[in-house]
Amino acid sequence: MIGTILQNLLRFLLLVFIQVFILNQITLPGNVNAYINPNIYILFLFMLPININKQLLLLLSFICGLTIDVFSSTAGMHASACLFIGLMRPGLVNLIMPRDGYENTVELTLPGLGFRTFFIYTSTLVVLHHFVLYLIEAFNFLNFGDLLLRVIISSIATLFLITLSQLLTLRKR
Amino acid sequence: MRNFFLLIRRYNFILIFLLLQGFSFFLLTRNNGYQRAAIIGTSNNITGQIFDAYSNVTDYLTLGIANATLAKENAMLRQQDSSALYSKLFEIVKVEDSASLQQYEYISARVINNSVKNVNNYLTLDKGSLHGVLPEMAVISSDGVVGIVKDVSEHYSTVISLLHRATKISSKIAKNNYFGSTIWDGKSPEFAKLYDIPSHAKLEIGDSILTSTYSGIFPRDILVGTVSEIGNNGQSFKDIQIKLSTDFRTISYVYVVRNLLKAERDSLETRTIEDIQE
Repeated sequence: MIGTILQNLLRFLLLVFIQVFILNQITLPGNVNAYINPNIYILFLFMLPININKQLLLLLSFICGLTIDVFSSTAGMHASACLFIGLMRPGLVNLIMPRDGYENTVELTLPGLGFRTFFIYTSTLVVLHHFVLYLIEAFNFLNFGDLLLRVIISSIATLFLITLSQLLTLRKR
Repeated sequence: MRNFFLLIRRYNFILIFLLLQGFSFFLLTRNNGYQRAAIIGTSNNITGQIFDAYSNVTDYLTLGIANATLAKENAMLRQQDSSALYSKLFEIVKVEDSASLQQYEYISARVINNSVKNVNNYLTLDKGSLHGVLPEMAVISSDGVVGIVKDVSEHYSTVISLLHRATKISSKIAKNNYFGSTIWDGKSPEFAKLYDIPSHAKLEIGDSILTSTYSGIFPRDILVGTVSEIGNNGQSFKDIQIKLSTDFRTISYVYVVRNLLKAERDSLETRTIEDIQE
């Protein structure tokens, strides 16, 4: 139990560090810059234990988003988008579960779920998160096509990084 | 009453969601004021220190560019210094200059956090209220306009970058004084748009765009950028793209500009408007 908490806390700190001090600092040339914005920190919410209390999940989503907000002067933007992950995750986990159900010990990781299920699980939540995020950011500023392009390109970048990190850090048992 | 509690128990998940979501939007919609200072203000000091440490490391990466910029500026300042001028008189008599009054003060600051990726970008500076920085002060670099101070804590301040959808900088064309507003279009951090220039105004690619004093925030004649593209959409205003003179990706040292006569001007202008409305 303590081990799980510690593990998740460390993962949280590491992901926030990568997000704030590496990903947010990279600038790409010209117009491309505005479109590629990977948000790897949400991986923390994806990997929380499967049997986590729903209310606690919401609270952690909020704190996770707010932490990023504080570091990027975007009061409430990431918090709001992360809350949607917290809202949808329990339902989605139920949906992707096989008919006989997962054991409570299964880990929501690439080796734990298998590539197909893991991809469906993460891509749904990533697109949802990015859509809300850029919708709030753009508001009535950019046109809708531009917004969708941002969501799609950034989602692909995020998914790529998430999959890569899973392949690099986790081994099949 | 019992039913009410049952209802809350049954839907507590969605209620917590709505509550937290409401709080997020509360943070989002409120632009400034007491709560922001209380919530973001305290954390500003903490995150400020973290970014301070971070930029202590990353500053080394841009040291070359920063040195070149500072050296260039030093050279320029040296040229203006009296020791660089050849005296035509046998003796210079120093006189306290009573013909002019100091209107602007410059506070130098280091950029400890910066973004160019978002639709709304901010910078964090390592100078705050202790050093005399106040909200709504102009921020410039040696290359040109940077932004406007938003929130201030004791040791740090956040700046709304020119690369922000709410930033509108009152500007003019250097050679003929037609004035308009510079607004960022949310795309490349190198370019912005200049609006409200009438289509009969004469303009060529490469013309300088400077700040005007209409907003009362920026000193006059600070470089904003140069014209890079002129389109004519058949309407009464020109469609102008300008290349910003400040490189927001590499910016590391800036000046906060304090207008010593701003309060006087503001109170005069509000009085005039109020008098007319009465």
